[in-house]
Amino acid sequence: MPPVIDVHDLHVRFGEVEAVAGIDLSAEAGQATALLGRNGAGKSTTMRVLAGVVPPTEGTVLVGGVDVARDAISVKRLVGYCPDVGGLVPLATPWEHLQLIARLRRIDDWETRSRDLLERFDLGDVSHRVTSGFSHGMSRRLSVVLAAFHQPDVLLLDEPFDGVDPIGVDATLDVVADARARGACVLVSTHLRDLAMQACTTAVVLRSGARVASMASGELEGEAGADAYRALLD
Amino acid sequence: MPTARSWTDPLADLWHLLRFRAQTVRRPRAAAVASVVLVVCTLAAMLVPPHVGALAKVGGPEQVVGYLPSMLSGFLVLSIVSAISGGGGRELLPRDQAAIHPITTTTEHLGALTLSPLNLAFLLQVWLLLGATSFVTGGDGWLVGQLLVLLWIAFGTALGQAVGWTVEIVRRGERGVAIVRTISIVGALGALGLHLSGRFVPVLEGGPARRLASFVDGTRADAWLAVPVLLVLTVIMVLVGVLPAGAALRRSPRDELKVESGIHPARPLPLSDAAMLLRMDRAAVWRSVPMRRGLIVLALGPGLVALVGAMSWGSVMVLPGLVISGGALLFGVNAWCLDGRGVLWRESLPVPPRTVFRARARVLAEWLIGASAITVTLASVRAGVPTLNQAISMLTLLLVVTVQVVSVCMLWSGRRPFSVNLRSARATPAPPLVMVGYSSRLAVTTTFTALIFSTASGGGWLWLSPVLAVPLLFWSLRTLRRAEQQWVAPAPRAVVVMTVAG
Repeated sequence: MPPVIDVHDLHVRFGEVEAVAGIDLSAEAGQATALLGRNGAGKSTTMRVLAGVVPPTEGTVLVGGVDVARDAISVKRLVGYCPDVGGLVPLATPWEHLQLIARLRRIDDWETRSRDLLERFDLGDVSHRVTSGFSHGMSRRLSVVLAAFHQPDVLLLDEPFDGVDPIGVDATLDVVADARARGACVLVSTHLRDLAMQACTTAVVLRSGARVASMASGELEGEAGADAYRALLD
Repeated sequence: MPTARSWTDPLADLWHLLRFRAQTVRRPRAAAVASVVLVVCTLAAMLVPPHVGALAKVGGPEQVVGYLPSMLSGFLVLSIVSAISGGGGRELLPRDQAAIHPITTTTEHLGALTLSPLNLAFLLQVWLLLGATSFVTGGDGWLVGQLLVLLWIAFGTALGQAVGWTVEIVRRGERGVAIVRTISIVGALGALGLHLSGRFVPVLEGGPARRLASFVDGTRADAWLAVPVLLVLTVIMVLVGVLPAGAALRRSPRDELKVESGIHPARPLPLSDAAMLLRMDRAAVWRSVPMRRGLIVLALGPGLVALVGAMSWGSVMVLPGLVISGGALLFGVNAWCLDGRGVLWRESLPVPPRTVFRARARVLAEWLIGASAITVTLASVRAGVPTLNQAISMLTLLLVVTVQVVSVCMLWSGRRPFSVNLRSARATPAPPLVMVGYSSRLAVTTTFTALIFSTASGGGWLWLSPVLAVPLLFWSLRTLRRAEQQWVAPAPRAVVVMTVAG
């Protein structure tokens, strides 16, 4: 069975800056892959390419068999994306965000699932308040809800645990587990190695815009895993 | 680390912040050129008028000198209204960036004062005042006249700022928004009452403005004595402003908090993607405090001036262009900033970029037409029933100017996006110097267009305005199409998205 995410020699350049310098990456259905690396390693840019937000400068990027460069809209239909920064429209409410998804993704009977997800992420009380007044943790939690809401085939979570309280972390881990259980491919980018290992089955380490290692997540667990990870970053 | 404070610290902090802003200008060469242009225009306003008067044999200085008191008072009114509507004035640094630095409220006050000249309405008034004074004085008394006017400008700006901060204290207090609105309405009605009783111009011409005008016109040998007096008054007014600035900035902005803590009940799901996008975009505009406040000032201000001044339809024709170009400066010149950091998530949704572009352009057009319609409606109360030709010309003008401004704004939004948070009433969609450039270009274009249609409305040819509109609309729609193509292309769109997301 071909991988759901299949990236070959991905390059992304912004003028003089090469944010991604030849990444190869593949991820399977029903698996969760952690994308690890230092700041500026190219994790978020890779996620943005996979979400169809940023076009690749060079290389091949297939998501669910669809070429991102050729048909970004079809890729967007397959993907649920939680961006690393913000990710929320400041003067819209969580409910309006969910309405937008329901409308654009043609989801019927969406209200029950919306309420359920908002409650699970402890956002039920603020579902009709604009997001500009939200704390960082609340914004992160809502971003995960928005990414997972339509039960996408590919779930891309960029820094989903950043500043999130334990209840939000548990809810996010549940979302990842649910996605895997229904056969979705999950990619999680984070600096929190322990949580990444808890959520994911495999890990890919990026450095300076390129992949330096790919392994089972168990290899990065514990003290030995921490040492191995640091060695990969240097 | 010791962080000793002295009374000069706010000035030192101001200098550091201004340098920081100057160093972070994205296009330094363009900024340098713009600065030179501003200086050249100011020097031209100060030096050229006496020569132009002599060459062109226009009306003598004695004709202009009569207008000086009301011009001087007009500047004062503009400064006050501008500071009040701007929530106290521009921010040296956006609030969320400034929060981590020990920037005092005194520095904030001085920063708002320093940035206030970077506003086209302000600059036009300054140039007009300097030019008129230069024309009146000629060679004799030129220096003292210019000095006095410059000091009056500084004094008026400081006074406006102090009043602006004071109003902000009230606005940020219990029921403050309602109190300020009531005071504004009473003030507007008072101005109307003065006008109807024939006392508006005498009030404007009276008081300190008349006395200052007598010093400025170059006929008094003791005019120099007014220089130190105005200088001292200006310094006092700058210092006075520190107190309300501190009191205002220590209070939470209630109107912003009201929006953020308020409940926005769910509405039924719209029937189409475009309708849903329109709803999101409209909410982003109408829930924004600075935009709502800006729209009220822009729509009502010129409308009330027209109402009080009993403008004829020929003159009213100029107003929609000014209102529309002013309205575009509230968010249109950086239209994608409405999404804030949510632009990244929105871009990941499966909707054709063309649909997104058209929804945003339509919301901008609605916003601009709405504002100008209020102005024209107010102006029409005194202008009377228009002739058929005037009505056709006005409707055609509204259409042409709206399409002109929307097209150029969408083009600029795609070419030069900025990451800004429009949460604060003091925020602007682009840096101050860029805003001056944008406002100048919009004002020139729309005023020129208005003059064309104003002229056309005076003749007897009903077909003239629609015919004149055809090439203008064609050109603007071409620009709009270019802007749309720019947005539809994935790579340029990604740059916009990444920039706006910060």
